[in-house]
Amino acid sequence: MERQSHAEASAQAPIIALPAGLTLPLDVRVHGRGGQGGVTCAKLIAALYMQMGLHVQTFGDYGSERSGAPVQAYTRVDRIPIANRNKVYRPDHLIVLDEGLLGTQTLGGAAPGALLLLNSSASLHRYDGQYADYQFAVIDATAIARELGIGSSSVVIINTTMLGAYARLLGAPLSVLEGCYASLGLGGDLPAAQQAYQRVQMRARTVSHPAVPAPAAAAASPPVAPISAHNADIPASLKTGSWSNQAPLYQEVAAPCNLACPAGNDVVGFIQALKNDGAEAAAAILQRTQALPSVCGRVCPAPCMRACNRDAFDGAVNIRSLERWISDCSAVQLTQRQAAARRRFAIAGGGPAGLSAAYQLALRGHEVKIFEAGPALGGVLRNGIPAFRLPQDALQRDLDRILALGVEAQCDCRLYKDDLARLQQTYDALIVCVGFGPAFGLAAEGAALEGVEQGLAFLDRAKRGRVTLAGHVAVVGGGNTAIDCARTALRCGAASVKLVYRRGHEEMPAIREEIEAAELEGVRLVLHRQPLAFTGDGTVSAMLLAEVETGPPDASGRRSPLVTQRTSRIACDKVLLALGQSKAMDLLPDTWRMRGARAWQGNRPLPVWFAGDCASGEGTVAHAIGNGGRAAAAALAHLAQAPDEAERETPDPVAPAQIRFSHFEMAPPHRDRQIPPSARRHSFDEFNLGLAGPDEAGRCFSCGRCTHCDTCLIYCPEGVIYRSGDGYRIDTDYCKGCGMCVAECPRSAIQMHAKTRQEVSACL
Amino acid sequence: MSVELISANHAAALAATLAARANRKGRGFCSGVYPITPSTECMEYLCLQEIEKGRVLRVESEHSAMAVCIGASAAGARAFTATSSNGLAYMAENCVAAAGMRLPIVLAVANRTLGPPWNIWADHGDSLMLRDHGLIQFYCADNQELFDTVLCAFRLAEDSRVMMPAMVCMEGFILSHAVTQTEVPEQEQVDRFLPLTSIPHQLGETPHTLGQMEVPQQTASHHQQHHAAMLGVPQIYAEIQNSFERIFGRRMADAVHAYRAEDAETLIVSMGTIGATAERVVDLFRARGQRVGSLRVRLFRPLPSATIANWFAGKKRVAVIDRDISLGFGGVLWGEIRGLAGPITVVQNYMAGIGGGDVRPEHLENMLSDLHPRRAAGLPAMIEAL
Repeated sequence: MERQSHAEASAQAPIIALPAGLTLPLDVRVHGRGGQGGVTCAKLIAALYMQMGLHVQTFGDYGSERSGAPVQAYTRVDRIPIANRNKVYRPDHLIVLDEGLLGTQTLGGAAPGALLLLNSSASLHRYDGQYADYQFAVIDATAIARELGIGSSSVVIINTTMLGAYARLLGAPLSVLEGCYASLGLGGDLPAAQQAYQRVQMRARTVSHPAVPAPAAAAASPPVAPISAHNADIPASLKTGSWSNQAPLYQEVAAPCNLACPAGNDVVGFIQALKNDGAEAAAAILQRTQALPSVCGRVCPAPCMRACNRDAFDGAVNIRSLERWISDCSAVQLTQRQAAARRRFAIAGGGPAGLSAAYQLALRGHEVKIFEAGPALGGVLRNGIPAFRLPQDALQRDLDRILALGVEAQCDCRLYKDDLARLQQTYDALIVCVGFGPAFGLAAEGAALEGVEQGLAFLDRAKRGRVTLAGHVAVVGGGNTAIDCARTALRCGAASVKLVYRRGHEEMPAIREEIEAAELEGVRLVLHRQPLAFTGDGTVSAMLLAEVETGPPDASGRRSPLVTQRTSRIACDKVLLALGQSKAMDLLPDTWRMRGARAWQGNRPLPVWFAGDCASGEGTVAHAIGNGGRAAAAALAHLAQAPDEAERETPDPVAPAQIRFSHFEMAPPHRDRQIPPSARRHSFDEFNLGLAGPDEAGRCFSCGRCTHCDTCLIYCPEGVIYRSGDGYRIDTDYCKGCGMCVAECPRSAIQMHAKTRQEVSACL
Repeated sequence: MSVELISANHAAALAATLAARANRKGRGFCSGVYPITPSTECMEYLCLQEIEKGRVLRVESEHSAMAVCIGASAAGARAFTATSSNGLAYMAENCVAAAGMRLPIVLAVANRTLGPPWNIWADHGDSLMLRDHGLIQFYCADNQELFDTVLCAFRLAEDSRVMMPAMVCMEGFILSHAVTQTEVPEQEQVDRFLPLTSIPHQLGETPHTLGQMEVPQQTASHHQQHHAAMLGVPQIYAEIQNSFERIFGRRMADAVHAYRAEDAETLIVSMGTIGATAERVVDLFRARGQRVGSLRVRLFRPLPSATIANWFAGKKRVAVIDRDISLGFGGVLWGEIRGLAGPITVVQNYMAGIGGGDVRPEHLENMLSDLHPRRAAGLPAMIEAL
């Protein structure tokens, strides 16, 4: 606009009743936080004055703000058009939208007797003695706006409320406020402004104490200086960490493999140790919980692999074979620790459960004696699992390690009721691990014919010495014993082996890889068939089968088999029965009862625990090992009259969706090397040669456990994550809670936590 | 006419919208846009407007944005876009192309420091980077002026005696984001102010090529024509000032806006909002009895040399304030006008507000204190503003 001088500007149209005491020109400064509407608040103030017919100018002080950062906005008011384009350094009116912002910076430059309007939930009296130099007013705009639903519940927008309080302080009539909101299309926010108009509490300026100089005037505007050399960055003065309402925390989360392992092995732990430090370091971790690593590394059904999160990406980690690698390639021998009070334990049964219990007790420095019915330790490991799956020397390696801890073993020692009662008296505690009871027979015609044998007995014979078979063999059953029988029968010379199972392929309880290996070796599966009768002249020569349909599911959810009238006949020279075993235990003294995993006499619990198949009947080595270890822990806790540490809550494991697959390259699992099926069909040598190397350990995600990959450090946009000791440290002074570290952590080892109310800034 | 409480960014977009609608009986309006701080709000606002026979295309870069404008203008549509700093740098090639093809595209620039290092605040270095290539350049000091100048720019650029792109500059954030009362005319008034766009060489019935290869003597001749057309701008601008005042009832500032300069001994010369600050300082010094005046260079290209030389005549000292620096030389405005002063006049360069600092009256007072005792000009000096 062209004019000779500002003072000679043409007069404005008559102003509608300016509030008394309003001196112009007027500088207003608003202090808020990014996202709170501070800039708009200043614009609303401008609109209010414009409604009064005055000239206005309003703008925000723009920089690198983000949600939560302190923000300033300015409004100027005058009778004539405003030529001043500078920021407001000497405000006449100060509006503070967040109490947390009050400070020398906020109040800097305020003219004496300036108006200070504060958004606060506190009453005016809470500020008695403070801000005496100002015309001071307080309004809880947040509460009003929240109640009237302006903004969201987490980010309440208070500017339209504040204006109501401000208008009241000016002495502007409500009609001006109403006209202003109407012109802006903010009629919906008018009730909030009206409430603030009514409820704002104000206090006149009190006489200032001469002794206390107003610090504000001294720091009015920045000094005028020649160019200063900036060779270093301007030091940060705002602790941006105070703006956040959530913070990251490094927190280990349970890995699904660890939770799935029945033995309680630290799978993540031993795999990462193998990867970083080699087999010896891995063995040291593995052997804390694993009494029989060479065994499990070969025959465990590996529930850890079924639970492995990598299965959702490019294939589960070959954990079983990594365990085998560790035990085959290391020679770690843990030593007995010194027990505070050395106890004496008796263990009935030298199978995997008993061995595991003995191992855990001996490790902790206690005296242990195993009583084994058979000629040597091992139980099903010795006489049930074929040598081509579990070679003798592998088993012996594990046994030697256990015995080296000082465990005593007495073999060829079958125990009866009196023996158990006596052992309970003479030892501090007794752990009973006698395994399954007798195998189930088949109530069918011809079951007593020569050539129809229990599978377990057959396997035992085959392990003791050479067994020769000829002709066609039929195995009845679908579990691991049945598969072992079938594959052993082939190696013993059978011309053909058929495996008869009354359900389908998917329902077979045997380990998948074992079924696959059996089929590759030539075992033929005859599914959905059940034997009705055996025929033969003294010796079995054929088996009558009935077709079985799957009926409706029973109480457990399994579909019960329905035997039909359709029959067929297969020729067989030998039948092996693998129908499972009962849990009958006839060696308990008459006055003892088994309740849970404990023996009770009347209503008194005895220091007698049960472990393994005789207690839980799970039927796998891994369960037996875990079970034996837990029984040992329970017994120790009881004797020490301390709580059983093993009784812990099961936490939620890391789910596949919590792993950042994008941080990993696709790489299929390393497979076990195996002797070709044609070659191994006739050999009892170990058919599975395991992994070629430990590289498979590199595929472990390390779910929930930090591997110090530095991803969080690299991705942090503020650069506030530092290496510290053998972990990380976050500078909480500057962490803004963006959550980028948590979002990018490849393995969910860091979580965001909401800050407490005290920690969160007052504006939210 | 209405009074709106809007930012300069919105004012520029609103002016462009009114101008766009004014061409609805012609070949309409087309704009290619791309966002960059601090001009983003201008294109955002434009995208929201309903323009009869108009299209606003959001494209993938500033270079493409100007390409769209070139295509549209070459077809006879009214064209407009907005950008800043590095966006203008990216657009630069096509700005030169638009000028070389003598297309009357209006470009609103929210001045911002070129980077890296990154800096979002006001500095004239971006628009001045393109001062030599045949675009008209205006520098505005307040929102109303910005609005009026954008409207005027269409009229000026599309004048058949001019026919070249026009750049209208506002300082980023200081103007672009500052909200003040702005008078907005009726569409009917704008319809009267802006004739329909008519470009002599626009593509139409007869196929022809724009911006074809040429040999040296042709280039020289075309540049001579362009230069001559530019030199005719001040006269035509004066005509438009009259027309503007008749239709809208206000007068736009002169190409060089003088304030209390006639009997001044000391002159402060600047561009943009520093000019408004300078006028406040002039009043301060006048109140103390010192004869200080100011010149605000509103039209930078073509440079109103004669006008400035007239004002310099007889002055003892001139402080030229540049919110820019030509590295290795000094302030651009100073460099261009220092030679317009006589031998007795001390012309001293002060570069202030580089990178967007808030230049306050105190800074100018300091400059004048420095200038007053000088018998001869010193090296260009840089003043720190925070």
